[in-house]
Amino acid sequence: MSAPGLSDIIKTFKNPSLILYMAWSDIRARYKRSVLGPLWITIGTAFGVVGLGFIWSELFKQDKATYIPSLTAGLILWQFMASCIAESTSVFTRQANIIKNLDLPLSLHVAQLALRHTINIAHNVPLFFIVALILGSPINLNTLMVIPGFLLVVGNLFWISLIFGMMGARFRDFEYLVAMILPLLMFLSPVLYRPNALPFSGKYIWLNPLANMIEIIRSPLLGEPTPWFLYAVNGGMLLIGGALALAMFNAKCKRIAFWV
Amino acid sequence: MSAHLAFDNVTIRYPIYNSRSMSLRNHLVRISTGGRIEEDAGNIRLVTALKNVSFTLREGDTVGLIGHNGAGKSTMLRTMAGVYAPMEGRVERTGRVATVLELGTGMDMELSGYENIIRMSKLLGLSNAEIKRNAKEIEEFTQLGEFLELPVRTYSSGMATRLMFAVATSTKPDILLVDEMFGTGDAEFQVKAKQRMEELIRSVGIFVFASHDNKLVRDYCNRFFRLEHGTVTEIERPPA
Repeated sequence: MSAPGLSDIIKTFKNPSLILYMAWSDIRARYKRSVLGPLWITIGTAFGVVGLGFIWSELFKQDKATYIPSLTAGLILWQFMASCIAESTSVFTRQANIIKNLDLPLSLHVAQLALRHTINIAHNVPLFFIVALILGSPINLNTLMVIPGFLLVVGNLFWISLIFGMMGARFRDFEYLVAMILPLLMFLSPVLYRPNALPFSGKYIWLNPLANMIEIIRSPLLGEPTPWFLYAVNGGMLLIGGALALAMFNAKCKRIAFWV
Repeated sequence: MSAHLAFDNVTIRYPIYNSRSMSLRNHLVRISTGGRIEEDAGNIRLVTALKNVSFTLREGDTVGLIGHNGAGKSTMLRTMAGVYAPMEGRVERTGRVATVLELGTGMDMELSGYENIIRMSKLLGLSNAEIKRNAKEIEEFTQLGEFLELPVRTYSSGMATRLMFAVATSTKPDILLVDEMFGTGDAEFQVKAKQRMEELIRSVGIFVFASHDNKLVRDYCNRFFRLEHGTVTEIERPPA
């Protein structure tokens, strides 16, 4: 049995230092001429939190001390997921030069993308804890459950990016489709609000995979116990989606060099 | 381990997806020297770049690929390198492969020369120890001096080429695949580049070189493959 996609992924993860170096040097290159570098993302989020926090907490008639930390977490997580997904559609096409000239595993570019956004979100996380400390949002043992939640989300983003990368390489319209849908999806996902704030569609919001991915990290961040079903949903997504992505990658990874 | 590279009935077909427009089709047909264009079941056009190609290369073989633009030389090199997987047939390869197809793969204009040396070398599969050893030698060869600490975007195109060439030729492969790449930079650098390339060619087990220049091919190679419409014929010696 030959599984070129699987051996490609194994080859990628056998060389973690290459993933790390490429992700790190990408970030360095992007912020080379700026003094604050990736901290600009943090500043941007901070402005968003302060500005939106006051307006939206009034609009939603919510207590600022609980709403603003939840908004901060929501914005940080959304930025992480949305930018990863938005960039995933061009993950192979933007690396066409490398793909066409070197015999490197293709999933390297996907792993590099996920790691780059993990480094970016790491710049943002302190902002949440500052907000949480100021407003007295609880930080307790539940908070530790952020770690397994985050790992599940990164795993899910990996297979989503792999599929989107292949789709984007084969169908060039896909990139624009995703870029169009993502901002809309922000309002359909519990970013600015918590799912339990929806009186009627609170049940249906869980049909949105991104809602499950946000909440599995946000509820422990806010010191709440994580509902067990979120682990089931995220774990199930990882298994089914991962298998689907692997099947697609096995079938098509040899063709990607011709597409880009 | 001795280098070995064998093609067994290899066929490579390119799908061209965005060729609904007549202009591109006409354009492809006009390149009469190019590969064969076939119609697939759907609207996808297939270009057969290599058709049932078989050969075996052993340690000590230096092969010149000759043919017109679009005859399949670059496709052949990419297939040898493992970038393109054959649709039919098999490619067998033992030994560490290095490719000099397009210069500057993975180069980032914002990063400094030193950072780019590390970045490009890592992509070529070199270890940290090897990169450290090479960096000194690349420094000397390129004579870029303190410019290596500045971003590559500040380089003249000649300086950037020196850096790209130096990194690309800093590996120690068993199989070396080179696409037309002599004659870069100013006259003085060309002499040095030629010397460095010749040293590298002498050190490898198998060398494959694609070029339009029959003279260069005759100088460096002991076997000659002519590519025409995706088929390969081994010939005695190309005319000068």
